[in-house]
Amino acid sequence: MNSVQMLEVFKTAVLVRRFEARIVQMAMAGELPGSLHAGAGQEICQIAAISALSRDDYILYGHRGVAYMIARGTSLASILADVAGKEGATSRGKGGVMHVVDVANGILGESGTLGGGFVMSVGVGMALKRRKQSQAVVYFFGDGTSNRGTFHESLNWAAVQKLPCIYFCENNGYAVSVPTSRSTAVADISSRAAGYGVPGVVVDGSDPAAVHEVMQTAVARARAGHGPTLIEAKVTRLHGHYVADQQTYRPDAELVLKTKDPLPKLQQTLIDAGVLTETQVTQIEADVQRQIDEAVAAVRAAPLLAPEVALQDLYA
Amino acid sequence: MPIITYSKAINQALAEEMARDENVILYGQDVAVWGGIFKVTDGLYERFGEERVFDSPISENVMVGAGVGAAIMGLRPVVELQFADFLLTAGDEVFFKAGMWRFMHGGAFKVPLVIRAPSGGSGFGPEHSACPEAFIMHAPGLLCAVPSTPADAKGLLKEAIRLDNPVVYCEHKLLYAMRGEVPDGDYTTPFGKAVVRREGDAVTIVAWQDMLRRSLAAAERLSKEGIEVEIVDPRTLNPFDRETIVESVKKTGACIVVEEAYRTLGVGAEIGAMLLEQALPYLDKPFKRLAIPDVPLPTSQHLVNAIVPSEDDIYKAVKDLVS
Ligand SMILES: Cc1ncc(C[n+]2csc(CCOP(=O)(O)OP(=O)(O)O)c2C)c(N)n1
Repeated sequence: MNSVQMLEVFKTAVLVRRFEARIVQMAMAGELPGSLHAGAGQEICQIAAISALSRDDYILYGHRGVAYMIARGTSLASILADVAGKEGATSRGKGGVMHVVDVANGILGESGTLGGGFVMSVGVGMALKRRKQSQAVVYFFGDGTSNRGTFHESLNWAAVQKLPCIYFCENNGYAVSVPTSRSTAVADISSRAAGYGVPGVVVDGSDPAAVHEVMQTAVARARAGHGPTLIEAKVTRLHGHYVADQQTYRPDAELVLKTKDPLPKLQQTLIDAGVLTETQVTQIEADVQRQIDEAVAAVRAAPLLAPEVALQDLYA
Repeated sequence: MPIITYSKAINQALAEEMARDENVILYGQDVAVWGGIFKVTDGLYERFGEERVFDSPISENVMVGAGVGAAIMGLRPVVELQFADFLLTAGDEVFFKAGMWRFMHGGAFKVPLVIRAPSGGSGFGPEHSACPEAFIMHAPGLLCAVPSTPADAKGLLKEAIRLDNPVVYCEHKLLYAMRGEVPDGDYTTPFGKAVVRREGDAVTIVAWQDMLRRSLAAAERLSKEGIEVEIVDPRTLNPFDRETIVESVKKTGACIVVEEAYRTLGVGAEIGAMLLEQALPYLDKPFKRLAIPDVPLPTSQHLVNAIVPSEDDIYKAVKDLVS
């Protein structure tokens, strides 16, 4: 990954971080429901992973954050409308922030039951393989989710059929309040790949270049018809499980927030490398605020979805 | 019209639809070389090749879930579960992924998936005998077909494959060997249109699949005694043709539902409630249900016979009602 690409990841991460913070702020003020699972701490990893994909690759995602969609080009206003249940929502009020969908940008949705994306992505992989186009599909999921049976069934299937599926695990060390060490018998989720005869790789999720590189390798493998790769990025969840979580189970919560945030670190790295200046940072922040303000204004002005929408979209 | 078995009718439907549309794929355990444990997919692997007809591992979750994933991408997967009971093994994938993926994403997708579910035929034991119709009817988003004759088995499956919605297609294990006339050429049977299998004025029986066969036999006996029973076969349970049942009840004034599933909150319960709402003034007799008392199905045939509605049970129920 070159410095220009790295700068792009940074800019998008700032946008995502500030956008999520605004959603949280609006939720605290009672203007929006507090159902967001903030992705803060993981967004650089998510954006860097997506930066290794082509426009026509597909993703299915987990619930942590909105970086996936923003990195693919979904508009802030449509995501915010999903949260608010307003006209312009991608799922027409059916899925909230959990089920943002944007097929034109390759976003195939989310399974509210965690790990549903494993099996869905296998089907997407089957279709891609049958079309004989070299596209890939990535499923982003948490370490806790890797304990679902769907992980095991689907990885075996994708491996045996050599499907262009990429399994991208964001290991933040927690599933709600339960530390991974108490739910999972292996230290690295990626070590499970061996049981299915596929490569398993660990990467530092705070290092965009490293994430980009392992993704590139996995994508190349998928496109060449060699089947799936299991990537595990070690990341940090900076906040609680969702907006209202006080993290009473996590004594080091404040320390984590102070010391483990990869965003200021990336900023400093870019400044040290001469790719970014303090002035530019100020500009980026101002630009991001403007974009967010515009989206908020648009969604505030948008009408609520009509009640009859509740009865629509079930059958084609 | 050629006379073929119900099983062959399903096989023909698959072959014709696969020949017509290359997006139709078929997979499940043992469906390829072996031709399916009930031999329903015989010859399809040889004809269409391993890219379109393939064996799957014993992984029901991914079998159904991948079907949904492939369907939203434009394929038309037909998934064979070895037993209808396994719909619950893949519960998340059946009820939430297949039933709700379109809805929860605001209509962004179509899910043209068919899940073939060999149902009923008690004697296979508690986890291999289900008639899961009530589960499916209770789940928004899933269509449900219950073909009772070879002609319907073919027509409804061809229609199911062409529909853009997920269909649970219940094929009854005891009907596989049943023979019947099947129209020549390409035809489909529309969903949501019940058929009156026998006309009469004494009582309306609603029944499908093996319970229809038993009801028809009971009706023959009753007819000899001058009791003419009207029998309605719903053919699909979602969409559900309520009108034909209500119309029949207007004529007969009485209704018995015969079903091969648990009594409490079964399909019969829904039909009873529907008649209360829509046809109470026409009911001169109490509504009746014949079903399996709420116990799992044993394996031993004589124990099964003790609890599954039989031709005799149906005969007696009608006699009780009309006398
Ligand atoms: C099948 C299923 N079980 C439980 C839940 C409730 N739930 C939502 S998020 C979550 C924790 C997920 O942990 P992990 O996969 O590690 O992702 P993270 O939240 O850490 O990003 C749980 C238990 C769910 N949505 N689906």
